[in-house]
Amino acid sequence: MGKTYFDKIRDFYNKRRRMPSYSEIMMLVGFKSKNAVYRLVEKLVSEGLVSKDRQGRLIPSKRFGEIPMIGEIEAGWPSPAEEELLDTMTLDEFLIQNKEATYMITVKGDSMKDAGILPNDIVLVERKNEAKDGEIVIAEVDGNWTMKYFRKRGKEIYLEAANSKFKKIFPKEDLKIAAVVKAVIRKYS
Amino acid sequence: MSEQPLHLRSFPKAILHIDGDAFFASCEQARNPKLKGRPVITGKERGIVASMSYEAKALGITRAMRLRDAQALCPALVVLPSDYETYSILSKRMFNIVRRYTPDVEEYSIDECFADITGLQRPLHMPYEDIAEKIKHELDIELGFTFSIGLAPSKVLAKLGSKWKKPSGLTSIPGRHIHHYLKEFSVEKVWGIGAQTTAYLNKHGIKTALEYAQKKEEWIREYLTKPHIEIWQELNGYSVIPLDTAVKTSYQSIQKIKTFSPASNNKSFVFAQLSKNIENACMKARRYKLGAEGAIVFLRTQEFKDRGVEIKFSRQTNFSHDIIGLTKSAFEDIFNPNILYRSTGVVLFKLKEIDDSQMDLFGEAIRAERMTKVYESIDAIRDKYGKHTLFLGSSFAANKFAQHLGERGDLPERRGFLLKGETTRKRLGIPVFLGQIS
Repeated sequence: MGKTYFDKIRDFYNKRRRMPSYSEIMMLVGFKSKNAVYRLVEKLVSEGLVSKDRQGRLIPSKRFGEIPMIGEIEAGWPSPAEEELLDTMTLDEFLIQNKEATYMITVKGDSMKDAGILPNDIVLVERKNEAKDGEIVIAEVDGNWTMKYFRKRGKEIYLEAANSKFKKIFPKEDLKIAAVVKAVIRKYS
Repeated sequence: MSEQPLHLRSFPKAILHIDGDAFFASCEQARNPKLKGRPVITGKERGIVASMSYEAKALGITRAMRLRDAQALCPALVVLPSDYETYSILSKRMFNIVRRYTPDVEEYSIDECFADITGLQRPLHMPYEDIAEKIKHELDIELGFTFSIGLAPSKVLAKLGSKWKKPSGLTSIPGRHIHHYLKEFSVEKVWGIGAQTTAYLNKHGIKTALEYAQKKEEWIREYLTKPHIEIWQELNGYSVIPLDTAVKTSYQSIQKIKTFSPASNNKSFVFAQLSKNIENACMKARRYKLGAEGAIVFLRTQEFKDRGVEIKFSRQTNFSHDIIGLTKSAFEDIFNPNILYRSTGVVLFKLKEIDDSQMDLFGEAIRAERMTKVYESIDAIRDKYGKHTLFLGSSFAANKFAQHLGERGDLPERRGFLLKGETTRKRLGIPVFLGQIS
């Protein structure tokens, strides 16, 4: 019963990428009055499935999108128990493995554009002084940071850009690797 | 006699003292390769050297030296404003790396900690020296600069150990070898022994740490007090000073000192600076639910002379306006319009948990309850929108301008840009590599 109401709201959200208004909910679930919608919304809010913004419009709460993971709900509404969230990870945990060794760099230049790393992207890097062939590294070259592919062919080591305009860099002395790139963040708004 | 071991077992306890080498300056050099190998100091905003890189140290620059003296010694000196946010993040990372090995970590200061690794050789299948080496390796690599470590049977000895070889040293002092190290340290180098005690010990012919450690117990007990008896035991390889591993949840005193530039003899401006410090100290006290029974306020002149007054409160408080009101006449007493001042400060002391239950005849408790609500709202607003959105009128002149005019007001580089989504109030808690990137 309740399940179908919530499903309808969620389907609406999935299709239109926005939450329905009260009158749209009235149509969706077939209520005759907005007062009934109001009571439904209050219930959803108390369950932690949706919340309201300052104008009272609906916004999906954190649990809204995670509901499908719970599977079929037999009777009534699931209570927002902590256990249900135990198997989710935060974006931090997803992006960062070794917290103590993780740093950020803002990308300048397009030498790694073919690797999908563009100017003003933020890369998350992990400090290390060694790398494997094919990893993208941050190395120290002539007092500057440089971000390139790390290449190892037998005993030969060099840095390579992901942009044909750039030449390979063969280090004169030993190559100082500062970090290995783990993720790229590009925020649009 | 000096060849006789002080202790026969190597490590009845295994205590590490870990010390970041030139911590603040190293944090700066690690994130910007342009600064590596160059003399770098931090503390621009304070006008004095807060931390100097080893290159700067080699040129004779010392901590707390005035900036212009340091620059006279080395015209090529790189002078940076302190970026406490980044230093604090890296400090926490340092402690967390050590905690991978043992939960018994004492955060002694922003750049030092003690760790107890007793009994870990077996589970980790390696001797204590290798554990220390491993911790050092992880710190050096993951934070990008070096640390010095002392390994010994006690805290006092571990602290000497981390000083033995610096930077990037690892010194193990097993019980059997304590005496070899102690004879190289003069007694005032020992942690916990101040100038007074040094002079006193010197009078009794004790010059080196070894001479101190070799004194008979009866003599020590006869002539010295408890803290120095403990140091004597620790020097002899007995661990008697426990690690304080509790994370700070309370304070005995809270202090807020802020320098401003240019120096000023404008009475209302200097008072506003003091008022701002009191507001910030009270806010911190309220966060920890503490009230003070007294305060010291002081003014520091451009010539680095301090003048202060102690004030006792009739009842415990953490209300800014109460304390500012009480300070007013004290300020009048110490302020001299013919002198230029460079900083003001306040220390709230005798802090105790706020006790609301006290009854009184004059309605004080009711007033206090009301004021508590007012300050709860004030703190909530300051938390959300920034400390500088809401303050008392008496602090106005100090909030009107930046703390430093001119180049001392330069912000740390990390404060100078925002990543998309960051605000001036909140930045990502991950340090950023700086300098040229290609």
